[in-house]
Amino acid sequence: MRRLFNMPPQVFRIFLLAIGIVAAYSVARYFLTPPSFGEYGWYRGAALAELATRDRVYAGKKACEECHGDEYEKLVKHEHKSLACESCHGPGEVHSGDPRKDNIEKSSFAVCLRCHEANPSRPKWHKQIVAKNHYTGSKCTECHVPHSPSEVP
Amino acid sequence: MKNNVSRRSVLAKIGAAVAGLLATPVAKAAKTVTQKVLVAADAPKGYDPTQHKWVMAIDANRCIGCGFCAEACKKENHVPEGPYFRTWVERYIITKPKPGSGAARGETLVDSPNGGINGYPEAPVPKDEIQHSFFVPKLCNLCHHSPCVQVCPVGASFDAPDGTVLVDPSYCIGCGFCIQACPYGCRFLSPVTKTAEKCTLCYHRITRGLKPACVEVCPTQARIFGDLKNPAPDDPIQQFYQNNLVTALKPHLGTEPRVFYAGIDKEVR
Repeated sequence: MRRLFNMPPQVFRIFLLAIGIVAAYSVARYFLTPPSFGEYGWYRGAALAELATRDRVYAGKKACEECHGDEYEKLVKHEHKSLACESCHGPGEVHSGDPRKDNIEKSSFAVCLRCHEANPSRPKWHKQIVAKNHYTGSKCTECHVPHSPSEVP
Repeated sequence: MKNNVSRRSVLAKIGAAVAGLLATPVAKAAKTVTQKVLVAADAPKGYDPTQHKWVMAIDANRCIGCGFCAEACKKENHVPEGPYFRTWVERYIITKPKPGSGAARGETLVDSPNGGINGYPEAPVPKDEIQHSFFVPKLCNLCHHSPCVQVCPVGASFDAPDGTVLVDPSYCIGCGFCIQACPYGCRFLSPVTKTAEKCTLCYHRITRGLKPACVEVCPTQARIFGDLKNPAPDDPIQQFYQNNLVTALKPHLGTEPRVFYAGIDKEVR
């Protein structure tokens, strides 16, 4: 063998060492590369499915409609049709799995003012009030129906 | 003819042949075992990422700065308390120029206290000195050439085939290169997981046919979400492109963001 390549012994040893390093690298790479690595690109393809398995917190408008169809029908006919139920009532995934009164927010006037308090940065088309000049109480629902704003209670 | 083959050499040759035959299946079995120890089991399938191209668009004309989106994002994705946001809303105030200054406009003031979740303090300048003021929701720009993905040393940040830019939390080493690389400041190092986190377009929602949480709760449809590969009959995304002149953030960087904005000023970065 040595005669075949006609190598001096010190070069032959380095040659063997180099082959050993490459072989060790290939073996390590073979064992350590995750199965889905390179499925879509230079990353672990299974990460996509893992990220998709997380639990949601917001249930979505459709889940609310299943039980609260009457309120939903009212909502989509009036100015607030673009609002989601969970905009004002907070996350509802827990409530949709276990419908109770104490695991969903009731919503309050603070939520109304989050959108409707006058602010010079808000677009002009949006209806705004200066709350302290408009009304001194804390029950917007005395005069307005949140699910159908154009109606009078 | 003299027989030179010894019993010992024949046995050695047979042994080597059997070992060679067994080597491949043994290595394969060992590989499976090693990888099961190293990586968690695969999650359930049923969603094909190559069949979708998700995209978000922002109509800043419609944003009223209520901060519902930033709040919903925090709750939906369990984003840690404090200055960590996957999406947030900035308030821009451009003042009128000082008389005689010869300038077309005054200063540009930008703020986003707690991402806009708790509302905004009164404008730092009187109302009659404001030339323009508006809100700009910010999120991952879903760049076509993502600087954050290019710098990741371990292949934890990646451009998924469905248009999202994601982080593999089990691969991220928390080096923070991607956080520095993102020109839009859309990433942060989570103090809880010690890995880089960012907007995933609510990957766990969109893969189940729901909208991202921010889009779900937006009361004015300032955020528009859709699938470019499966457009709906009255697709809001196509309507947005048709009805608006659109722009992207920092186009000079060549990142080619796929999140398009309508109704923003040149001062928006």
